[in-house]
Amino acid sequence: MKKLIAIALALVMVLGLVACGGNTTETTAPAGATGTQAEGNKPASDLKVTAFWYEESDVYLSSVRNALNKELDALGVTHDDQFAANDQAKQLDQIKTAIAGGSNLLVVNVVTSGAPDTAKDILDAAGDIPVIFFNRAIGTEGADVPVLTEAKNAAFIGTDAPEAGHIQGKMIGQYLVEHFDEVDLNKDGKISYAMMKGEEANIEAIFRTQYSVEDADKVLTEAGKPALEYFDAKNTDKYQVDQGGAWSATAAKEYMDTNFVTYNEAAGNMIELVICNNDGMAEGVIASLQEKGYNKEGAHVVPVFGVDATDNAKALIADGAMTGTVKQDAEGMAYAIAQAVSGISEGKAAPEALKNALTDERFSIAEDCAAKLYVAYAPYTGE
Amino acid sequence: MTNPVKRLQATAEEFKHKDSKDKKRYIVDTILNNALYILMLIFIIYTANKQPNFLTWGSFANLITQVAAYLPLALGIAGCIVLTGTDLSAGRVAGLTAAVSAVLLQKTDFANKMFNNLPAITPGWILVAMLIVVAIGALIGLVNGFFVAKFSLHPFIVTLSTQLITYGIILWFFGLNGNNGQPISGLSQEYKNAIGGAMFRMQNVPIPNYVAYALLLTVLMWFIWNKTTFGKNMFAVGSNAEAAKVSGVNVFMTTMLVHTLAGAMYGYSGFIEGVRSGSVAASTGLNAECDAIAACVIGGVSFVGGTGKISGIIMGVFVLRIIFVALTMLGVDSSSLYIIKGAIILCACALDMRKYLVKK
Amino acid sequence: MEHDVLLKMVDITKTFPGVKALDHVSLEIKRGTVHALMGENGAGKSTLMKCLFGIYNKDSGQIFLEGKEVNFKNSKEALENGVAMVHQELNQALKRSVMDNIWLGRYPKIAGIAVNERKMYKDTLEVFNELGIDVDPRRIMSTMPVSQRQMVEIAKAVSFHSKVIVFDEPTSSLTEEEVEHLFRIINMLRAKGVAIIYISHKMAEIKRISDEITVMRDGQWIATRPAAELEMNDIIRLMVGRELTNQFPPKTNKPGDVYLKVEGLTGLYNHLQDVSFEARRGEILGIAGLDSSGRTETLESIFGIRSRKAGTITLDGKVCKNRSAGEAIKNGFALLTEERRATGIFGVLNIRENTVISSLKKHKRFGIYLSEKSQREDTQQYIEAMHTKTPSQETKIRTLSGGNQQKVIIGRWLLTNPDVLLLDEPTRGIDVGAKYEIYQLILDLANNGKTVLMVSSEMPELLGVCDRILVMSGGRVAGEVDAAHTSQEEIMTLAAKYV
Repeated sequence: MKKLIAIALALVMVLGLVACGGNTTETTAPAGATGTQAEGNKPASDLKVTAFWYEESDVYLSSVRNALNKELDALGVTHDDQFAANDQAKQLDQIKTAIAGGSNLLVVNVVTSGAPDTAKDILDAAGDIPVIFFNRAIGTEGADVPVLTEAKNAAFIGTDAPEAGHIQGKMIGQYLVEHFDEVDLNKDGKISYAMMKGEEANIEAIFRTQYSVEDADKVLTEAGKPALEYFDAKNTDKYQVDQGGAWSATAAKEYMDTNFVTYNEAAGNMIELVICNNDGMAEGVIASLQEKGYNKEGAHVVPVFGVDATDNAKALIADGAMTGTVKQDAEGMAYAIAQAVSGISEGKAAPEALKNALTDERFSIAEDCAAKLYVAYAPYTGE
Repeated sequence: MTNPVKRLQATAEEFKHKDSKDKKRYIVDTILNNALYILMLIFIIYTANKQPNFLTWGSFANLITQVAAYLPLALGIAGCIVLTGTDLSAGRVAGLTAAVSAVLLQKTDFANKMFNNLPAITPGWILVAMLIVVAIGALIGLVNGFFVAKFSLHPFIVTLSTQLITYGIILWFFGLNGNNGQPISGLSQEYKNAIGGAMFRMQNVPIPNYVAYALLLTVLMWFIWNKTTFGKNMFAVGSNAEAAKVSGVNVFMTTMLVHTLAGAMYGYSGFIEGVRSGSVAASTGLNAECDAIAACVIGGVSFVGGTGKISGIIMGVFVLRIIFVALTMLGVDSSSLYIIKGAIILCACALDMRKYLVKK
Repeated sequence: MEHDVLLKMVDITKTFPGVKALDHVSLEIKRGTVHALMGENGAGKSTLMKCLFGIYNKDSGQIFLEGKEVNFKNSKEALENGVAMVHQELNQALKRSVMDNIWLGRYPKIAGIAVNERKMYKDTLEVFNELGIDVDPRRIMSTMPVSQRQMVEIAKAVSFHSKVIVFDEPTSSLTEEEVEHLFRIINMLRAKGVAIIYISHKMAEIKRISDEITVMRDGQWIATRPAAELEMNDIIRLMVGRELTNQFPPKTNKPGDVYLKVEGLTGLYNHLQDVSFEARRGEILGIAGLDSSGRTETLESIFGIRSRKAGTITLDGKVCKNRSAGEAIKNGFALLTEERRATGIFGVLNIRENTVISSLKKHKRFGIYLSEKSQREDTQQYIEAMHTKTPSQETKIRTLSGGNQQKVIIGRWLLTNPDVLLLDEPTRGIDVGAKYEIYQLILDLANNGKTVLMVSSEMPELLGVCDRILVMSGGRVAGEVDAAHTSQEEIMTLAAKYV
């Protein structure tokens, strides 16, 4: 009996491995640590690109990775992906290993965002090899500029971290100016809002939390309306954060469920607006609201705003359950990186190569540094 | 001594005959042994004082809804702790089964549906889907149990490994059929109603169906733990595996079954998780085992092994959820939240261990 | 030679909730003497020693070492002041080497940082040579038999240049020969002026080794006399407070037909080799032998918890495979293990849970539900039958004394209604009164037609209770003797046959 179980288990595990292994080769054909030749069989250059990702399960970055792999296949360069499982030290080891393995262009999505010293370590490890940082900021408020300038052969492609917050804030402000009385459930002339923060010490989360409210207030006061008011006067943070740091829908839902006990329509202090750091949390908030009879067909819709424009958020906006989100352009990000890679393959230095991507108004070179390319965010409220 | 009144009288009688020193020690011991409950009571009174809404039916409804969501995972993991082990794979297993349930029960007309040739959503299919994910959970539990029992590996190592393997499967699963790691959403209304549909409302706060399911599971687990040979054997193995072997207990089978049962519970947790938050992401379930383990040890399921009660686990889950709800209502900032939660777990475990230390 | 008082304990009192464990007990130990401390379990011997070592805080009283009042906070402090204890249940770092254990906490250092392994090795050898111990200091503790581990513990005490050494039941797991060695060491220590407190239940040993005897009963001091003045019966009378005319109950069992047949038992992972014997219905078959002669292995192999390479077990003409404990139980076997704490009791579980664990099947209703009522009844029946002293069925078993724990475990086995009982050291660490009860129980079982196999290191016990005695040596059967017509000498000669 025991032997039978043992054999059965072993079989299951082996089959599992075979299934996984088989599938990997199917979906990401050109990947693999050694780097296989791309389809088409016409290597455009001897470039060997390694992309480093802070984590594998990030929804937005999964979209970027998918698009980027297609772009790089089209360029005909050898490339592979490495995942750091949210561990900066591990990523540094991976980078060193890749260089030893012959990679000559590093595309890096750093783990610790907003730390120029980390970027410096990576650049030191890279030496003469060009490095393209992307997505996660390597320094904020200009702190990244000296690092990039000094390195000469490094560039950053990303979004201007505060921009998502700015755009979300403006979108909220404009929506409220148009729908103020409708949103103001208790007719006290003020909008009380809740804020769902994704992660305590994440630079993007911090900026989004701060600027969305500031910019919304700016639009409101310009239109002669009162500024937003946080629903719980006792909470000096003025946000509620996912304690697991996972930007999760579950955390947002539990906060909303709990808030609802004290703050509801019957008590005349209902939360009238919910701002979320990402669409996942917005989904959790909407799930909670729907349980209480809101944000359904024929019911009052509490405006909920997110960031990312995931497929699910778009579907919710189409259904009318969600009001708006900010689109991070995954394809645009992948396109920009691929253009920079092609620039480098032409022999340009990294900052110079960035200019290859300046093909439409989605892309702009940062004002403070020539080695930084921004991919624009865009408000999304339905198609 | 089954009559509680008589027992109380006997205790009072005994107490009367003690000298003053013994009386004092008795009182101190009683306070320390129940310190956690006393602390919680003070905490509840304080919160209610500052925020009267905390002691309303609506608040209670919210609390038990959350308890019902966290309880199954804790009930599963508790068995592993009784065996002096642990299970680090719980959260990821719940994440995987949440994803599988979501995929199996997506709206038939949903634009981003991952698999198109699935049956229509009927109560029967929902039940089948649940059995499938419970079986998936149980299978991973079986693998855990097999390696723990067969090779005497510490569950920490085994479940750490299966945690990683399960996460790998989750990532692979989320990449299937052009999903590219996007969250799985568009759950069918039938599925949502079956799990999250309101049985009734308390002050407009709905009590979802899964509260009743959690109650059922609790009764089932209580029965398994206290009234079956398997349950008795589990405690014997947890208390002294060598003695259990000599006493004719099949230690191998018991260990396997405990982990399999735990896995099945994670499978069920995953089944309700998607409905709770409206969608399932690859990160769903991350670190969920931490809360479950904490709830167990707070409730007196000790890492010493062989001890623990279902009622304790329920208390543990309640304590953690009360902390969350109360601190949220009090508008406590997030840094204090972490500190308070950590301090409570530490205190609870220290008070629990105190019972096992030799009195001098 | 006049012996001055080295250690003096005056008016020690210690109360536990509801129990007066020590009631104004005084004790004087002289330099260069062996002082035996006797009493039944629960008489307060261990508690007194724990007060000496600061493991318990005494409520009142004083302790003087060489005339100076001392108050040790823990056993480490006591050790540093020359008061050492060799425990009955050894607490050692089993995965570490012998010398690591001896020098633990005070490793000799090179330049105050690195551990000086060479010095440690040398010093250990020195102590071993002095005591005549033949053990490699680099050997890992867990690979050695209990007796040698105990020698290490003694060596450790000596290495501290201890003035007072307490031996707590030192011979309970030693064979005769090992006991001789221990006594040589004790005599040597005595000659060097060390004061020795010797706690034991074994009368013969006490008479042989000690100079003075103090008897305790129920937490009170009863008497202190020179050993030469006391006869064995006097000591027993002082201990139990009544005459114990006989150490063993009268033998009433009548062996019947051959019931159990063991043929060619050979171990797969141990040295057991071609062990064959027969046992009759209603017979008590003793198994004697030195430590590691294969006695325990024989019982465990029969019970299916040790792997066999070869051998058949036939019960009443039917071959029993006994591949696991569960199967053995089904076939009517029961095994009381040697190490009660390690493989017998479920410490954190209560009496009832400990009692019914092997017989859960008979409490099953409707194929799944376990009846609480019938479990309670069974437990109560055996608490009464065995005279187990416990406040309730819900009491955790680890709070009971060794004798009562043993009764609970015997009750557990009787509930499986076994035909063959395999008892491994059934009276180890149990006081005189309780021993008698256990002997009576064994005889009752035999009277009821059960077959009993009993392993024991106490020769008088085997001679007093058994019908026949199987003597093992080096994993083989060295011979078989009739208990009524043999002597300890004959058994010892056989036991040394294959060593």
